[in-house]
Amino acid sequence: MASEKTLALLRSRLCNRNFVHSAFKSSPDSNYSKLKFLIANSISEACNNSVLLLGPRGCGKSAVVDLVLEDLKAEHPDMITVVRLNGLLHSDDNCALKEIARQLCSELQLLFSKAASSDDNSQFMIDMLRECGLAHKTVIFVLDEFDLFTQGKQRLLYSLLDAMQTLTSQSVVIGVSCRLDADQLLEKRVRSRFSHRKLLCAPPTSEDTVRLLEHLLYLPKDESFPSSYIRDFNSAVQKILGDKRFKEILNSLSNVEGTISNLLRFLFRVVSYLDLESGLLSLENFKTALPCTQRQPKLDALLDVSILELYMLVCMNRLEIKEQNSYNFSSIMKEYKSIQDAYKTSDNYAHNVCLRAFEHLLERELIGFSDPRSRSLSIEFRPVKLLLSPRELHQGLKSNSSCPAILQKLLDHESYK
Amino acid sequence: MANDDDDIPKTPNKRTTRSSSSSLSSPPKPPAGTLTLVPSDGLTFSRTSISLENLLSSLPGRRAQILDVLRLIGPVDSPMLPILLYGGASTGKTSTILKIFHHLNRPFIYVSCRSCYNPRILFESVLNQLAFHRKSESNGYSSARRCERASEFVNLLRDSLVQVLNDLGKGKKKAGCGKTTYLVFDNVEVIRSWDGNASVLSLLFRINDILRIPEVGFVYISSSTPEGYYLSTGSTEPVTVYFPDYTVEDLHAIFMRNQENPKLYSSFLSVVLKPFYRITRRLDELLIALEPLFQKYCEPLTDPRLVPDEPTKRRLFDNLQPHLLSALNETFKVPSWSSLDAAKEGISNKKLNSRRIGGKEASNELDFHMSVSAKYLLLSAFLASRNPATLDAALFDSTGGSNNRRRKRKSSQTSIDQKDAMAQEILMKGPGTFPLERLLAIFQCIASVAEDVFDEEPQEEGIMSGGGKVGLMSDVLLQLSTLCNANFLCKSGSCPLEGSTRYRSTVDEEMALKVARSINFPLSKYIYRR
Repeated sequence: MASEKTLALLRSRLCNRNFVHSAFKSSPDSNYSKLKFLIANSISEACNNSVLLLGPRGCGKSAVVDLVLEDLKAEHPDMITVVRLNGLLHSDDNCALKEIARQLCSELQLLFSKAASSDDNSQFMIDMLRECGLAHKTVIFVLDEFDLFTQGKQRLLYSLLDAMQTLTSQSVVIGVSCRLDADQLLEKRVRSRFSHRKLLCAPPTSEDTVRLLEHLLYLPKDESFPSSYIRDFNSAVQKILGDKRFKEILNSLSNVEGTISNLLRFLFRVVSYLDLESGLLSLENFKTALPCTQRQPKLDALLDVSILELYMLVCMNRLEIKEQNSYNFSSIMKEYKSIQDAYKTSDNYAHNVCLRAFEHLLERELIGFSDPRSRSLSIEFRPVKLLLSPRELHQGLKSNSSCPAILQKLLDHESYK
Repeated sequence: MANDDDDIPKTPNKRTTRSSSSSLSSPPKPPAGTLTLVPSDGLTFSRTSISLENLLSSLPGRRAQILDVLRLIGPVDSPMLPILLYGGASTGKTSTILKIFHHLNRPFIYVSCRSCYNPRILFESVLNQLAFHRKSESNGYSSARRCERASEFVNLLRDSLVQVLNDLGKGKKKAGCGKTTYLVFDNVEVIRSWDGNASVLSLLFRINDILRIPEVGFVYISSSTPEGYYLSTGSTEPVTVYFPDYTVEDLHAIFMRNQENPKLYSSFLSVVLKPFYRITRRLDELLIALEPLFQKYCEPLTDPRLVPDEPTKRRLFDNLQPHLLSALNETFKVPSWSSLDAAKEGISNKKLNSRRIGGKEASNELDFHMSVSAKYLLLSAFLASRNPATLDAALFDSTGGSNNRRRKRKSSQTSIDQKDAMAQEILMKGPGTFPLERLLAIFQCIASVAEDVFDEEPQEEGIMSGGGKVGLMSDVLLQLSTLCNANFLCKSGSCPLEGSTRYRSTVDEEMALKVARSINFPLSKYIYRR
């Protein structure tokens, strides 16, 4: 029973980004503190402000904004109105204005008219900004995927930032983007109205990672669990965190991708392996979860292809080695026939069977058309290319136990002379 | 094989769309009356769930994947990160996830991006299912909400999810299946070929981040690898589960399910499965290929329930051997409708068999009908595509192309490496294109030759030759568009200099020879060999 509760608790922690990033709340030089200071200032001094949060994906930029806004809302009740836009959804100006009007209406309990034109909406936004300014309320615009708003005419950004130039308004624009050059994408008229404050988010350092792991994995000391169980669980976690092999696992994970979201995905898998009998995490859980995150789909696919499909791949590889810069199914078939004539293997199949195998390879995306536009030609004549490197093919053949020896020889003979 | 799985409770609202999964593992189709039935308690399969053992045994070879997915989905009402199931075609991804939800008995909706072929239909399909809306005659087959933009979709989706979660929360005590609702998106790889695919794909993969409702789980199913989505989604990668192709043992276990005579079928499989496995590992194709072979295998037996002993097995194998080789080379040929019907009715069984065995005899017949003039048109298109245009005059002069001497001399003049280069070029380029005028000229030539040769001419041809130019033109143009629609010819853009549409014939030589034989036309005389 306690173990099931632990599983549920850990899963909900890992899926809740605000909880994850609250680990860094306390440190004074974190982005959280900086952003909070900035916005709290503009609220108390009733001024306009704008800031960009930049950093690679999965570093918790939006989570930091969420945490800050949550806290400020608690500290200054009824003073803050938040409007959230996402570049994926609202990069179109009219659509964005409509969404702003809709969110303002629902926040301030006004009636939203669906039929309003884009001009009406834009006027409404400016009016509302003035009204809110007069009432000493701050409107905070959070623009997620900020770089997508800079495509097109940037009318939305201009009207937003232009409205902020007036003394009466009181608003903050927070742009969040994974492009580090997001401020360079702005037009001149927009850039001049933008305060060039930028906060950079970076992947966590190794000390931060350890702190994050402790924050995520230790059970809280409260009454909901039996105290002996908490002691056992936490000491098990502590033992794992101190283990040398665990450090290796963590290193191999962060060597590929060191972002927090990658770590969370890994931990999510680890927690899914939690043994419900004992209810304790073990190093084994981490070990079994690691290979799942480090799959090589191309090699997996090579293990899955049938013998005939392997023949096709080897033929293509031979053609590439012969420096035929462009080839199609007919030339592959010619190569295949010549192999069959020379070695008289049992795998001599008819044209249409080979064509089907060829189509399977296309479906698996191991090969692809080199010119995706020429649709009018039939498949046999469209030029194709191998999407595998010779090394991958070599490795794939080696690990495929059902691969005939002759095929291996054909490949070795050609490529490693 | 198609009607197995009878021990598993039937589900009234079958959401599967793929024919392979329905023929394989999902429950049989419900009677017509219950097809529109929506379960009263929401989005679950039915009130009876299948047990874990049943689940594992109904999907042989997928044990590890099922347990993995179950672990990731987790206990009732616990939040989850989005997961992506990927693996080649016909590896049981869709049927696994559907059966898992049948086992868990939790609310979910299933959308296939293949049947919902543009963003609007995809969005509306999700919203319809959440609103328990069904398109029917009474509502004019319209959706519950009209929704074209992604921004509207997210707002509407959030509203309807909140609604559904509230409703489920109220009925939670009696159901015991939790209120977490799962959204399953199948065939995600298809989206990459849509217009403006980037935004839809990244929306789909980031929708969990955008919505931020912990009670919603997202499952994506894709036949292409996660690498294929890197470009458009950044690092918001779901947790992945890989479905490898079935091994020989798995396939054996799958084929052995619910066989009437397991011993007999097992001995059949031991002979047949290995060679076919070398060609393809896809279950759906193997199913099609093995079914007629098994009938063949059983033919000498009088009693289908007989348990075969060693000599019988050998006898059966000897009987099957000649068919095996031809079947291997004919794999994946989907039988035409006429032969399928014949097989179903059980009439003319012998005739059918003779066609299957021979292979060569069968190939003499065309399995489609076409008017004689269309056949001539097809042949002239074939000739126009294969022969160089400069030779037309020589081939189709007044004597009707019987001038073999000149062609021979010409080919002997060309040097060998030039020949090779040409052959290479033909291999690469495929059939050539030709303008309409050339096609019509060749058509008239060969049609007139045919008139000379045969006294008894079909009616259509008589009209063509006798009815003057105008009648012929309109008739032929009509046939031409028919051939284009049937994909025997394809339009290949217009020539930049002339501006007229050019055509290309897509039939191969074997097919053209068959057509020629059916109208007794000496095609080989006209093909230019290098």
